[in-house]
Amino acid sequence: MSTIMIIYLGMIAGGILLSFIRMLVGPTASDRAVAVDTITTTIVGMLVILAFVFQRYVYLDVALVYSLLAFVGLCAIARFLERGF
Amino acid sequence: MIIIVSVLIIIMLAAAVAACIFKDLLSATIASCMVSLIAAVLFFFLQAPDVAMAEASIGAALVTAVFVIAIRRTRRYEE
Repeated sequence: MSTIMIIYLGMIAGGILLSFIRMLVGPTASDRAVAVDTITTTIVGMLVILAFVFQRYVYLDVALVYSLLAFVGLCAIARFLERGF
Repeated sequence: MIIIVSVLIIIMLAAAVAACIFKDLLSATIASCMVSLIAAVLFFFLQAPDVAMAEASIGAALVTAVFVIAIRRTRRYEE
């Protein structure tokens, strides 16, 4: 793994950590839902970079399924927050 | 690589503890959703993408939706 990939993954890990702090201290449930959505988006980027690092392009399907299913879960939470499911 | 995996494991552990101590049950559901999302990434790091796909589909979508429906039928805040 080259140096630039290590720098990319380190920056992504820092972004995940900062969003996680928002998830811990968020006063309402809406803050936590948005923080988890941000973490999901960041992790999808990390999965794509890892598929490039491992040189297995089949792994890109995992990123696709991951983002779709996280969207479904967040939609359930948002619908509950807005009008009680 | 090992540093990133360590950061993810620490975040997963803290999210699991937070899911135990939150009094708002919707926040606890969000925290447990995050635990399974990070578990999917750790399966991906261990070169098991099919297990990661199954974990993401069950943990993130199905369990979260079932818990939200259960919270709607009962109370939202724990005494």
